[in-house]
Amino acid sequence: MRTANRVYGLRWVLLPPLTGMGILAMLVGAVVAAPTELVEGDVQRLMYIHVPSAQAMYLAFGIVFVASIMVLWKRDMRWDAVARGAASVGVLFTAFALVTGSLWGKPIWGVYWQWDARLTSTLVLFLVYAAYLLARAVSDPGDEQAARYSAVYAIVGFLDVPFIVMSVRWWRTLHPQPIVSRLDPQLPGSMLAVLGISTLAIFLLALWLILLRTDTERLGQRLLGLRAAVDRREEA
Amino acid sequence: MDGQLGYLFAGFAVFWAGLFVYLLLLQTRIRSLTREVDRLEERLADAEADAAETPPRGGPSR
Amino acid sequence: MNATFAVVAKDLRLAWRDRAGWLTAGAFATISILIYSFAFDLATNDVRPLLPGVLWTTFLFAGVFAAGAGFQREAEEGTFDAMLLSPVSPTVIFLGKLISSLIALIAIEFALLIAATILFDEPLLTPELVAIVMLGTAGYASLTTLLGTLGSGPRTRAVLLPVMALPLLVPMLIAAVRATGGSLGIFGGDAPWTLLLAVFALWSTLTAIILFPLAVER
Repeated sequence: MRTANRVYGLRWVLLPPLTGMGILAMLVGAVVAAPTELVEGDVQRLMYIHVPSAQAMYLAFGIVFVASIMVLWKRDMRWDAVARGAASVGVLFTAFALVTGSLWGKPIWGVYWQWDARLTSTLVLFLVYAAYLLARAVSDPGDEQAARYSAVYAIVGFLDVPFIVMSVRWWRTLHPQPIVSRLDPQLPGSMLAVLGISTLAIFLLALWLILLRTDTERLGQRLLGLRAAVDRREEA
Repeated sequence: MDGQLGYLFAGFAVFWAGLFVYLLLLQTRIRSLTREVDRLEERLADAEADAAETPPRGGPSR
Repeated sequence: MNATFAVVAKDLRLAWRDRAGWLTAGAFATISILIYSFAFDLATNDVRPLLPGVLWTTFLFAGVFAAGAGFQREAEEGTFDAMLLSPVSPTVIFLGKLISSLIALIAIEFALLIAATILFDEPLLTPELVAIVMLGTAGYASLTTLLGTLGSGPRTRAVLLPVMALPLLVPMLIAAVRATGGSLGIFGGDAPWTLLLAVFALWSTLTAIILFPLAVER
């Protein structure tokens, strides 16, 4: 298994254990250590997955944006693998944020789904990047033209985010306002600490998944190159 | 409160199940890709070895 | 500038020669308006607030349809690739495509506005509304043209273009519907929708003009 060594190379020694420990700390913190919210009750503990997932989504889509610029600039298919890996992980975390959000919304708002500004803009983002993955999936992974096309789409999609957020915010607003970023934090210190740990854990997880996924895509690209080489060899 | 715990559990279950399925699919894909790459690399190496053993045209074996 | 005019003229000639495609888009839009009115009985007063949404979904679907179909012939015949190999700069090629499809789309939309004015007894041809329609069209046409001309193959283009373009156009759709509703006195709103529409149109056109040459360069 020579290739396996390349996939699980040196950086895999450090990242998975750290991620595992982080996730464990997150679980203990969210389920046991954090105090129960007085008004919302235990279901508020979903926040420790929901908020970091939403942030990991922006991290992943930011990586897609940068990698897509690099695809157009450097014309290197390795960046296309990064963009695809990050997009797929971003869509996964967007789904987590949407699902945990609606499961929180049912007992608190009384409905699973509200056409609220943040929910709606997150849903639109989900659709944009799902379309990106779809476009990339129907084309050949080694097709450079298709890679550039998807890169253009990803760049437009990322630049579209402010418009999506602004238009939907003017359209509807119901989501609890961000209470962490204000000057005087309204969240008690212990909750804030657990949220911090969860955010770190989920970011590590997202990073690890993106790297793993990127290496998988690159493996796929290498396979295409090898197939071409074998064909040439056997024709000769 | 009891009804709420169901939602909490469902939320965590979705997270873990989603993660598990994602990793499982990824693992399957990595395994099949790795196998294919190894197989092709061997074939390429064999072909090169054959080419090296085969004496050049007009060589002593003729 | 001369090259742009030449390309626009060429694209308009092409659009005229391929008028069956554009006529299909226009017919599709007309049928949609009729189908909507059968479905919602739009002439009655209670559903009047639906009118802006009906108009804009129709425009958008027709626009995406036209971007997918209108470009098909050129892609099949390979004239687009030939154009890219010619000394004309890709920006000019893109502008030519954009302007010619804008002209065709605005013609279709005007016909629809006239039809809707007659059908729903609502004065839709006010200067304000015409400005809103033009801004909105500029906003979506630049993105659909960008995505439509770049697609990898005719098969994927027809299926994927709506899936890819429509989520990006959500802000434009919301702003256009609200601005239209405001102009018709249907929804009172305080948000500056027309401004958002204008900024979106400017942004999408600039982005498309910058990205198109980068994407097609070989």
